[in-house]
Amino acid sequence: MRIRAAASAALASVSVLAIGWMVGAPAAESLQATLASATTATTTPAASTTPAATSATTPSATTPTAGTGEAAQAPAAATAPVAATPAGVTGTFDGSVVQTRFGNVQVSVTIDNGTITEVSALHLTDHDPRSVAISNQAAPILRSEVLTAQSAQVQNVSGATYTTAGYLQSMQAALDAAQF
Amino acid sequence: MRHNSLLTPPSPVLPGGSGVAALLVETMGTVVSIRLGATAGDAAALDGGAQPRIPALETRATVEGVFRRWDEQFSLYRPDSELSRVNRGQVRLTQASDTLRVCYALALDWRDRTDGVFTPHRADGAIDLSGVVKSLAIQEAGDLLAARGAGDWSLNAGGDILVSGHQAPGQDWLAAIVDPADRQALLASVPLARPLRAVASSGSAERGEHIWTTVDGGVSPYRQVSVFGRDIVTADVLATTIIAGGEDALNRSTENFEIEVLAVLRDGSLLATPGLRAGPA
Amino acid sequence: MSFDTRVTQRPLRVAPTPRIRPEYKRRMRLADTLQVLCFVSVAVSIALFLGDGGAARFSTPADAITSLGVLTGLVGTDLLLVMMLLAARLPAIDRAFGHDSAMALHQSLGKPALYLILAHVVLLITGYSLAGKVTIFAEAWSMITQLPDMLLALAGLGLLILVVVTSLVIVRHRLPYEVWHIVHLLSYAAVLAALPHQLTSGSLLIAGSAQWYYWLALYTGVAGSILVFRFILPVVRSLRARLVVEGVDEVGDGVVSIRLSGRRLRRLKASSGQFFIWRFWTPGLWWQAHPFSLSAAPTGNSLRITVRALGDASAALPGLRRGTRVSFEGPYGLFTDRARTSPRLVLVAAGIGVAPIRSLLETATFLPGHATVILRAHTAEDSYLADELAALCQARGAELRIIAGKRPAGLNTWLPAKAVSARVSLKTLVPQLRESDVYICGPRRWTDEVVRDARSAGLPTRQIHFERFDW
Repeated sequence: MRIRAAASAALASVSVLAIGWMVGAPAAESLQATLASATTATTTPAASTTPAATSATTPSATTPTAGTGEAAQAPAAATAPVAATPAGVTGTFDGSVVQTRFGNVQVSVTIDNGTITEVSALHLTDHDPRSVAISNQAAPILRSEVLTAQSAQVQNVSGATYTTAGYLQSMQAALDAAQF
Repeated sequence: MRHNSLLTPPSPVLPGGSGVAALLVETMGTVVSIRLGATAGDAAALDGGAQPRIPALETRATVEGVFRRWDEQFSLYRPDSELSRVNRGQVRLTQASDTLRVCYALALDWRDRTDGVFTPHRADGAIDLSGVVKSLAIQEAGDLLAARGAGDWSLNAGGDILVSGHQAPGQDWLAAIVDPADRQALLASVPLARPLRAVASSGSAERGEHIWTTVDGGVSPYRQVSVFGRDIVTADVLATTIIAGGEDALNRSTENFEIEVLAVLRDGSLLATPGLRAGPA
Repeated sequence: MSFDTRVTQRPLRVAPTPRIRPEYKRRMRLADTLQVLCFVSVAVSIALFLGDGGAARFSTPADAITSLGVLTGLVGTDLLLVMMLLAARLPAIDRAFGHDSAMALHQSLGKPALYLILAHVVLLITGYSLAGKVTIFAEAWSMITQLPDMLLALAGLGLLILVVVTSLVIVRHRLPYEVWHIVHLLSYAAVLAALPHQLTSGSLLIAGSAQWYYWLALYTGVAGSILVFRFILPVVRSLRARLVVEGVDEVGDGVVSIRLSGRRLRRLKASSGQFFIWRFWTPGLWWQAHPFSLSAAPTGNSLRITVRALGDASAALPGLRRGTRVSFEGPYGLFTDRARTSPRLVLVAAGIGVAPIRSLLETATFLPGHATVILRAHTAEDSYLADELAALCQARGAELRIIAGKRPAGLNTWLPAKAVSARVSLKTLVPQLRESDVYICGPRRWTDEVVRDARSAGLPTRQIHFERFDW
C-alpha cells in the first residue's frame, strides 16, 4: 500500500472509531448510574421502560407531576411535599446493563428507606427486537396453579369494566359494603 | 334515587372487622370505590409524624372532583365536553386546552408503542380518548390523595385498580380477578405491591355477548385480559391492546413492558405470566 | 541450443511525448480511495458497536467475552462482504487494481474472515454461558433452539466452511474447476443465510436504528453490485454484442487464433492486453468458461484471441465452426497501456503468453526506439505469432529479441542455460530498464522469475506488470 493511502486509511479509521466512541459515551455513562445519584424521588415508581412520560402532566396545577426514569421532577407546586428527604433513600433507579442473548437487559432497583425492596429487569429498547424473552411470556396455566394469595382479605375486584348498573350485581359491591 | 341504592348495597359476603366501608363515587358511567388503609405503619415514610386520618368525606369529594373534571372535558356522551366540540369542529385541535392536547399526544404515543393496535382514532375520524381518560383520572386522583398525606389507599374505577402503600400494616392490597364465566367466582387474587401497583382488565361486557374483534377484523382469542403494571395507564392501555391485538400483541407487550398478564381464552383456559403462578417461583 | 537475437531496423519518426503521468495519478487516487474505503468499512463496523455504548461492556469477564464475540461477528461479516465485492467484477476495482490483484486479495482474506466468524460463534456461546451460569453445551443448545434464525445462521456457517475448505489450494486442484466454482458460489447463500440472525438476535442491529439502516444499506449495496456487475451486465453485453466465431486460424502446434465478429464492440471499451471470460455455445463447450486474452487490438466489430488447446475441453477449440455463438464476461485486466507509468516499454512473453503482448504491441504508447519485445521460446522457430510480432516491431520502431533455449534443470531462472552463464538479465538486455514499464506474460513460474529479475534490477512495483497463465 502506498504511504498516502495508508496514512489516509489510518486517519479515517481512527476518526470513525472516535466518532463511534463519542456517540456511545452517553449510553455508556448511563450504565454507571449509581444509587448515589438518587434524588428525592416521589413514591411513584418510574413508569414502564420507555423514556416518554406515560404518567402525563395532569391538568390541576396543584398536583405534583410524577417522575420518570432516573431524574425525578420536583413537584410543580409545593402544596404538599410528597417525600421530604427521609433518613434513607426512596425511589426506583435503573442500574447497570447486562448483555444477554435476548438483548441488553437493564436492572431496575426499588429502594425503600435505604433498603432494596425490589430488583426487576427491564428490556432496554422499546423497539421490537424480536428477540423473544421466553422468561416473560404468558404461558398456559391451570386454574389451580394461579396465584391466590390468602394473606389478607380481597378488597378490590377486577374484571371487565362494569357499568353502574352492573356494579350493583358485582362482587365489588359486596366487598365495598363489607367493613374492614 | 340511584344515589340511595348505591349507599346501601347488598349484604356483605365476607365477615369484616371494624372499620370503614368503601367510599363510592358514581362517575363516568361506572362506580369508583375508594378505600383507605391503615396509615400508622407508613408514618415514618412520610413526614415523620403520625398522620391524621383524612376525613372520609373530604377524600370522596377530592376524588369525585377529579373524575368530574375529566368527564366534563373528555366524555363523548356529553355534547358540550371539549372533546365533543373538537370532534364536531367547533374547536380546533391547535386551539384546544393544554390538557386535551397533552392527553391526545399521550394516546398517540401509546399508538406508536403498540404498533397501532391501541389508537385514539375512531373509524369515523373522531378522536376518542376514553382509553386513557379514565386511567389518567385515577392517576390524578391518586396523586392528590398522596399529596394530602395519604400513604395507603386503593382506587377501583369499574375494575381498573390503583393502590398505594398497604391495606393494613404489613399487608399488601389484594386484587382479585373475576372469572368471566361466573362473575361470583375468582380466578386469582394477587398482591399489588411495588412495582406493579396497578391492574386493569379488558373483556366482554356484562350486558350481552359483546365480543372483542381484533384489529384485522377477526374475533379476539381472549375473553378477558387482566394486566398488572407499574402504573394504571400502562395497564389499561395494554389490556386493551392485548385483547384487540391477539397473541402477537400479548407476546410483544410482555416482552417490552414490565407487566404480568392473566388472560382467559374463549374456551375458558388460562394464560399467565410467571409472576402469577402460585407457590415458589 | 543457440542464443539468438534478431534486431530490426528503427525507422526515424518523430511523435509527441506520450502523456502518461496524469492517467497514472488518476488511477492511483482511485486505488487509494478504494483501499481507504476498505479499511474504513472495518472501522465502521467496530464503530457500530462503540456507538451503542459497547466500550463500557468490558467490565466483567462474561461481558468482555460477549463483546468480543459481537465485534468478531461484525468485522468478520464486513470482511466477507469486502471479499464478495472484490469478486463482483466492479469496473472501478478493475480500473484501479486489475481483476487479478483483486482476486489475489480476495483469496488472502478468505481464511481470516472464516477465523473471525468461528471466533464469533465460540466467544458468544462462551460469554452467554458465563453470564447465564450454564454449561457451554446447554447454552449452545438453547441458543439454537430458542433464538430466531439460528438454524439458518448455522447452515450459513457450514456452507462457509465448505467453501473455504474447497478453496484451499490442494483441494482445489483435485476438483474439476467447474465443480469448485459451483461450490464457491454457495458463499452467496452462506452470507445471505447469516443475515436474518444478525438482525433479529442480539441488541445491536435493532430494527429502525441507525445501525440497522447502515447494515441493510451495506448488504443491499453489495448484493446490488454483485447482481449488476457480476451477472446482469455480462448477460446484457453478450446479448447486445452478438459475438460469433468468424474463423479459426492455425498458428502453431495445437495453437489457434479465433477471430470473432460482433456489432458495436466499441461500447465494451476493451483495451489491448485485456482478457474476457468466454463461453462458446457448442454442445461440448457451453458448460465451460475460459479466460483468454485478446491477441489483437479490439475494433468496432472484431475481436481476436489466440489459445492453446490443451486439457479436455480446450481441445475442441480448434474445431469451432464459423457462426458459433459466443458469450462473454469482461473486459477485465490491468495488463494494458492504461497502467503505464514510464515513457519506455519492455514486453516479455513466453509460450501462449504472447497473445496479450501481441495486442499490446499494436496500440501501446511509446516513441520509436523506446520499446523492446523479448520472446522466450524453446527454439527460435516455435514462438507463436512471431511473424506478426516482427512486422509490428518493424512498423512501430520496437526492438525484437528472441531468446531460445531450454531452461537449465535445477536452476530458478527465466533464461536458457547459455544466457545464464553469460550473465544475461533484463538489465543487460534493456539498458534503460529503469525508465521502462515491463509487461510480462507467460507460464506461472517463469513469469515469477522474470518479475524477480526485474525487482532485483531495482524496478519499483508500479513499473512491473504481469499476467500469469495458470489455468
